[in-house]
Amino acid sequence: MSTTTPQTATRAETAAPGPTRPVLAVDLVTDPALVGRFAALARRLEEAGAGALTLSDGGLHPIHVAAHLAPVTRAVGLLPRTDAVYVEPFHLATQLMSLDHISHGRAGWLVHAQTDPSVPATVGRSPLDRAATAREAADVLETSRLIWDSWAPDAVVRDTAGGKYLDASRLQYADVEAETFSVRGPAITPRSPQGLLPVLVADADRAAAGERVASELADGRVLDLDLRSGTDGALEAVAAAHEEADGPVVRLVRVVGLDLGADPLGPVPELIDALREQGLIAPAPVVGTSLREQLGLPPAPYHPDPVRRADRARLTREDHS
Amino acid sequence: MTSTATSPTPLSAEAAALATGPAEHPLHPAHTPTGQLAFGAFFQGVNSSTIWRLPESGDQVAWESFESLIRTAERGRFAAFFLGEGLRLREHRGVPFELDVAGRPDAQTLLAALAAVTEKIGLVATQNTTYNDPVDLARRLQTLDLLSGGRAGWNIVTTDNAWTGENFRRGGYLDHADRYIHAEAFVRVAEQFWRGEEIAHEGAHYSVHARGDLPRSAQGRPVLFQAGASPAGQDFAARTADVIFSPHGGLEAAVEFRRSVVERTIAAGRDANAVKILPGAEIVLAPTEAEAEEKIRWVRDLQIGPEQAIALLEQYWGRDLSEFDPDGPLPDVPPEVSESGVTRGAGFQFAKAEELTRSWREEAAEKGQTILEFARVKAGARRGSFSGSYETVADRLAEYARLGAIDGLNITPWLIPSGLDDIVDELIPRLQERGVYPDEYAGSTLRENLGL
Repeated sequence: MSTTTPQTATRAETAAPGPTRPVLAVDLVTDPALVGRFAALARRLEEAGAGALTLSDGGLHPIHVAAHLAPVTRAVGLLPRTDAVYVEPFHLATQLMSLDHISHGRAGWLVHAQTDPSVPATVGRSPLDRAATAREAADVLETSRLIWDSWAPDAVVRDTAGGKYLDASRLQYADVEAETFSVRGPAITPRSPQGLLPVLVADADRAAAGERVASELADGRVLDLDLRSGTDGALEAVAAAHEEADGPVVRLVRVVGLDLGADPLGPVPELIDALREQGLIAPAPVVGTSLREQLGLPPAPYHPDPVRRADRARLTREDHS
Repeated sequence: MTSTATSPTPLSAEAAALATGPAEHPLHPAHTPTGQLAFGAFFQGVNSSTIWRLPESGDQVAWESFESLIRTAERGRFAAFFLGEGLRLREHRGVPFELDVAGRPDAQTLLAALAAVTEKIGLVATQNTTYNDPVDLARRLQTLDLLSGGRAGWNIVTTDNAWTGENFRRGGYLDHADRYIHAEAFVRVAEQFWRGEEIAHEGAHYSVHARGDLPRSAQGRPVLFQAGASPAGQDFAARTADVIFSPHGGLEAAVEFRRSVVERTIAAGRDANAVKILPGAEIVLAPTEAEAEEKIRWVRDLQIGPEQAIALLEQYWGRDLSEFDPDGPLPDVPPEVSESGVTRGAGFQFAKAEELTRSWREEAAEKGQTILEFARVKAGARRGSFSGSYETVADRLAEYARLGAIDGLNITPWLIPSGLDDIVDELIPRLQERGVYPDEYAGSTLRENLGL
């Protein structure tokens, strides 16, 4: 990232103390064979007390599947797991903030750094080495936040007397000059309900995403419980994660490996009840609660940066006149 | 399709004069009108067409606005719901344009959500071929097509300017002259992806290696729309698209456009009826002609305020005109640019400013128009011309259908989200009575509902 670009939100602000009990998420793989079943599954998981759904890439685009589930669910968080490396940062940021609008503030991002060597060629790029992959993921994450933070919440003024729909002084450019890309901004989408979407890293993705993303930039950690290895040690694993004093806070406990061929929800409802009874996970979400609130993250206010003001060309003209 | 048509009304003198063949082929020997209209609803989210000054003007990004509008459209058996796209926020004199509605959610993300609350209506996303990656876009479109049960459409646009490119990895890499060559290669890659093929594309600007790995949708692939009306754009559509979203509203222009598209489609080796034409339109309706005329004036007054009138002229003059009185004559100063580009992202910055501004001054002086009056007429002229009483608009549209000049309209409501209400409640029943609009959806895919 360019050193001329100040940070939108520092970790000190996003990692303020909040409820330490993580939110329970259930992972759905975006398998095209599930088309027609996603809505019913999502509703049943919400009724069973899940706090969030994560969408893992199984072919269908995870952000679109998350959006598809927004109007059929009421309170669960929706977190697509998508790549931050072989993407257009501007498109990715726009899609994620749009998911936040559509879901009324329930969107989050499980950031992932692609290491599959066949993926770069699908977008006309060459594979990055391990260190460059981590740097790219960090740059794209920071850029996304600058794009999300480019409209003030009150930028749409609808000033009938003055004839103005929006006030450009309440918008700012992103002005990103990163190692492999640049983005001017501002966003083509007004600020979303949460402002900054919660960004989390699953333990399994930590190595590829790199320490900077996982420990400095992200809003927290995701602990996975794999149903394929049984639920016996699940309570102990979540309890143990609570005890860990070092490193990022576990914000999400993600149940993966749901066997949709069998009884769709399998042991999930029981597991949720048991974890909740032990006080190991957050209460079931309440309608109207943002994902940030659910995760115990503080609100993300607009960070105006005078250097990046979107009306700077007008200010310059006025200076000279 | 309806079969309740009453005996066909004879064509008006204006329409009859444009027909060159018998009723089965009035406009071109190889083209057969279906006599039916399909409607699209176009939620623009930019431009002065959407009124934001009224208390009933809804939020431009709220889910509820989109949900409400699409439910009305589906109640009216609209074939499609369109979303536009602009990959850089519009700017005027280097500052984000403040006077019109602006800021929209990502089209496909939004349509994926709208697919969950609708059953039959098509979902069309405007997506750019210069600043997307073909495999990524093809996967997203196919996701939408699968999630919606075969209702996805792609309105292919080719914006290539370097100013927009400042938001993307490749920047302004593409010459304007090459935009359709690139777009065609891009579409071929997407089609290979949809067919589940191995892709090994070596392009002039980048190479793509991938494999399509998603099943086909209920309609095979997303329906392709194309929105460029230039000769190159028409040829691109004739080779590639299923539907042209054209700017031609007047009957004579529509007839001419149909003939041109039919000729080009045949030249491209396709059936003369292969490409549907849906002009963009704004419809202002009232019970009587007199009330409609009054209402159009009221709509224009709300769409174009004094600030917007000055800004419209500044686009072409290329300079600050804020000292001119909107209620006075057009500025008597020369433009400062030879190629107008002061409003970026507006799509019409290539007219020769010197010549244009002179002719505008003459035109306004001749008609005795002020800046504000002139701007309102100019803006209105760009929006199609299907306004009037319920009965006269229904009669005119029925004639367009019977002549085969158009296959439907892509309607921009001037108010969100209630702007389709009178079209659905008053106009559509009259079109159905005239046998030119479906009583029910023909099927559940977009392809079926467009008669493709």
